[in-house]
Amino acid sequence: MADFQIKGVTIVETFAEAFPMVGTRIIITAPTLEWALTAARTMTGFATSVIACGAEAGIERTLSPDETLDGRPGVAVLLFTMDTDKLQRQLRNRVGQCVLTSPGSACFAGLDGEKKLKLGASLRFFGDGWQMSKMTGGRRFWRIPVMDGEFLCEATTGLTKKAVGGGNLLVLGKSHSAVLAACERAVKAIAEVEGAIAPFPGGIVRSGSKVGSKYKGQIASTNDAYCPSLKAAVNTALPLEVEAVLEIVIDGLTKDSVAKAMHAGVHAITEGGAEAGVTHVTAGNYGGNLGPHHFHLKEIVAWKR
Amino acid sequence: MEALTFELKHTPEERLDLSPLTPERLDGLKASEVEALAIGTTRVPLSVGDVFKVKGKDAGEIRFAGTDARCDKIGAGMTKGAIVVEGDAGAYLGAGMKKGKIEVSGNAGALAGASMAGGAIAVSGHAGERAGGIHVGETLGMRGGVLTIGGNAGSLLGERMRRGLVIVGGDAGDYAGGRMVAGTILFKRGVGANAGFGLRRGSLIFVEEPKELLPTFGDCGVLEFDYLRLLEHWLRANEKPINLGTRARRLMGDMAVLGKGEMLILA
Repeated sequence: MADFQIKGVTIVETFAEAFPMVGTRIIITAPTLEWALTAARTMTGFATSVIACGAEAGIERTLSPDETLDGRPGVAVLLFTMDTDKLQRQLRNRVGQCVLTSPGSACFAGLDGEKKLKLGASLRFFGDGWQMSKMTGGRRFWRIPVMDGEFLCEATTGLTKKAVGGGNLLVLGKSHSAVLAACERAVKAIAEVEGAIAPFPGGIVRSGSKVGSKYKGQIASTNDAYCPSLKAAVNTALPLEVEAVLEIVIDGLTKDSVAKAMHAGVHAITEGGAEAGVTHVTAGNYGGNLGPHHFHLKEIVAWKR
Repeated sequence: MEALTFELKHTPEERLDLSPLTPERLDGLKASEVEALAIGTTRVPLSVGDVFKVKGKDAGEIRFAGTDARCDKIGAGMTKGAIVVEGDAGAYLGAGMKKGKIEVSGNAGALAGASMAGGAIAVSGHAGERAGGIHVGETLGMRGGVLTIGGNAGSLLGERMRRGLVIVGGDAGDYAGGRMVAGTILFKRGVGANAGFGLRRGSLIFVEEPKELLPTFGDCGVLEFDYLRLLEHWLRANEKPINLGTRARRLMGDMAVLGKGEMLILA
């Protein structure tokens, strides 16, 4: 293995294996940024992994009033699933239950694209016949009467089939606190990247999984090769001094956005060098036969757009 | 390339039908072919060359200079390009147009933008009756696009309008938004009697409160509309800055018909 080092941290010569997803972006606005964030956090809650949540979602960034269609503070949200039908259902349910319900909110398309997902076009039925359609600048908006006035919601938003899910970085270190601090830095850096989110809690996963299990009906189980407490019993991937491993999973609207996010992540992780307690950065894959997108860490480190 | 320019030589002795002089119909025509186009409306044959001095080549942008109120159907049915009118326009200005842009420095006659489906018309002066209304042979008025009138508008503005936006800078006449099916009219000043008569759906937005309101409109009181923010933002982005604010009194009507339309009187 031709591993190499950045500031004493070993970058393992391997690659992250990622999968094609369908994704969309919506813009949520509200009277204050705090309320826009509340709606966005609610909508992207329980959306860490498609395995059991139905979707992966996160906040991409906040928007200033001059960036939104209604001149109010806003939040850009990214939502990903494995196919278009599921994305449509997830979008309708999440916006319907979490954004429509949030005080003073409005919801707009955040992505162009020939293919469209229904947004207000399905939520309008909540208006029970009192909804009004307004075309403005060639885009259709629905005004749905609600108890605090009107819910303004664009009819459709675009979708992309070029989204990529499952870009990842595994961070190994000599203490839990060191690994957590490194991952927090990485999540912060990834948040700056356009078109990418880290859907897990605070952007970080502690329970990486492998495919399959000894138990029937359990489709995924703990990634024992990376469990520090099992080093002696399994075919471990960990040196003896590694105390903790955390993973950052990245979904992006394009392959480039995932690569850019991984690039930002690696450099944030290694910022403090080996002295900060991080020993290795590696990535998860399934041998390369399952996912069509391979992000080689060597290329990611040197990646430039 | 210089814009294809039609300069009126003298006051025409009859009304002119200028609908052949649109960017898509002049595209690829030679100067001699353009001058031979018939634009008369009587039994006496009359061609472009008899009335206009033709200059320039670029049919994508057409200029009319020195036109008067007898120059009908300028840009009627146009599907692309731009027309600039330095002078007045007659009736049917941009009627049934689908795409493109028309600017008039003077006044426009009756039925400006009648049954237009898209594109933009901007009249700096006044517009005659039935602007944005029903074109001959049509059942609905304006179906899309933006019609901006700098001055006053005649009666029956936006009659049976279906979609699109009309902005009136001056006063509008009687029956503004009459029998409207949907769409938006923004009144920056006053309106005549019976505004919104037979309004089914659609929005009439008033900067000033109308002097008289039809009794068949019901009051919903004053509230905030995010839609006004959206509209104001769009107007500003399209160089028509108007301060709408966010609060408006909403009246629903016309209750004598469907009653799902509204008047928003800015508060």
